[in-house]
Amino acid sequence: MRPCDSLKREFLKKWMMGLQSCSSSNKDMSILERKEAIKLSADVAMACARNGATCWSRALIAAGAHSKHGAPREYSNKRIRSKKILKRSCRIRIRRRKRSKCSAQVGRASSISKGLVRQRTRILKSLIPGGESMDEASLVEETLDYITYLRAQVDGMRSLVDASELDR
Amino acid sequence: MELNAGTAGTGSHKTASERDEVAALESLQFTDEIRRLMSAPATDNASSFTALLELPAPQAVQLIHSPDSAKLIAAPAPAPNVDEFKGSFNFPFNSGLIERATRFSLFAGDGSINDNNKSNSPEPTSYNSSANLQKPVKSEPAETESYQPLVSDPTVENRSTKRKDREKVKGSTKKSKTGAKDSSDDAEKLPYVHVRARRGQATDSHSLAERARREKINARMKLLQELVPGCSKISGTALVLDEIINHVQSLQRQVEFLSMRLAAVNPRIDFNLDSVFTAESGSLMDSNFSGMVMPMMLPEVQLNGNRQQYPQQLHFDAFQQPVWGTEEVCNNYITPENSLLSYDSSGNSASLHSNQLKMEL
Repeated sequence: MRPCDSLKREFLKKWMMGLQSCSSSNKDMSILERKEAIKLSADVAMACARNGATCWSRALIAAGAHSKHGAPREYSNKRIRSKKILKRSCRIRIRRRKRSKCSAQVGRASSISKGLVRQRTRILKSLIPGGESMDEASLVEETLDYITYLRAQVDGMRSLVDASELDR
Repeated sequence: MELNAGTAGTGSHKTASERDEVAALESLQFTDEIRRLMSAPATDNASSFTALLELPAPQAVQLIHSPDSAKLIAAPAPAPNVDEFKGSFNFPFNSGLIERATRFSLFAGDGSINDNNKSNSPEPTSYNSSANLQKPVKSEPAETESYQPLVSDPTVENRSTKRKDREKVKGSTKKSKTGAKDSSDDAEKLPYVHVRARRGQATDSHSLAERARREKINARMKLLQELVPGCSKISGTALVLDEIINHVQSLQRQVEFLSMRLAAVNPRIDFNLDSVFTAESGSLMDSNFSGMVMPMMLPEVQLNGNRQQYPQQLHFDAFQQPVWGTEEVCNNYITPENSLLSYDSSGNSASLHSNQLKMEL
């Protein structure tokens, strides 16, 4: 699905403002810093375009704030930790039940495939911002959202790059 | 994109309407039986299901067709008979007849749901509360598919085949979130001999919940498959996940490269933006930008040649200046939320700004 125009517009709008504030602050940074600043502004703009309706956007905003402050990071860490504990306990319970139920029938193949799937969800969780503290269903939703927004972001950035290169 | 979705929806709706009639005809035979079954109070056992049987039948029907039914069946057009029938159709009593009838009603429901949900704004989250019946589990893809320009027919057929499989599986295929469905579920199972053994166990609700969860996840995975190019041909969760991961990684890498390019283009890009946004607003501008804008006035002239719409853009941005100009005095991203939230409010006021941007895009 192509990101729709309104989305791109939103993103570009917010990103322009973010870029301005960013550039007004430090005029000469090394190129890496500037790249980071641009990327950060783009990310935060993207996340705000979503108005914090999704988990990844909130996590992105928190990460953006965190680059200046330490406080939001602690918040998210606590939340993540508590969720991890909860998940661990649930997982143990589920595993016990599953083992008692159907250990014999399940062939090797399905367990292998399940392991693969689990490994890949773990990787996906590491990719999506704020993905650690999400269960599978919401993770899939978040990736849906995230992919559309990434696409919009890439399109917007590319158009900006083209426009700026036209300038030369 | 929305056009495609609309036509797909109407296409399926046409066939759905004829199936609707068939379903209506068949429902006439079943409604009596269903009503009797639903109103039959359960001789209760200790299981979790039967505890929920206390719900009287009309309340059950009410629950089934609760207003939350962006996720539930809620077919607006057809007769109430068909509604009730659809409400209770998914119980596997006489498998052959029921399968046929339910498939028809499924199509009818899905057709109307597709149309319904195209008008609704689908919510990505909060399915837990109200997605009760098996059909809503399927209607979720219908709802979320209104994001995408999917053809609804293949998905509907997928659902019908899945439905057949599910009916063959043990009776523990339904979510146990509402009592209503479970009450009717159990109520109509009682007179029939081929009740599956697992039903009475206490862990059943968990497996039900897990299965429903599985269904949800699979539905969303389907959507993801549509979204990521080249994933629709792949079967198997692991490979699809692989593709999705690759896609996300490539997108992120692209963002990195593009931002690097932007950074490398020049410091000029930033100043240009400043000048772009603030050139015309010399009078309104606050002190922060004045230093930067002045030397950049000259390049801004040529800039206007390339992007004609920007000067008009500036006009409206000028109004926004006083709003967030002061906040940027404290610069950096000290509170990006606050600053960007203020951007939000100012962004709402300048809708013409977005029109200008649209031209560029």
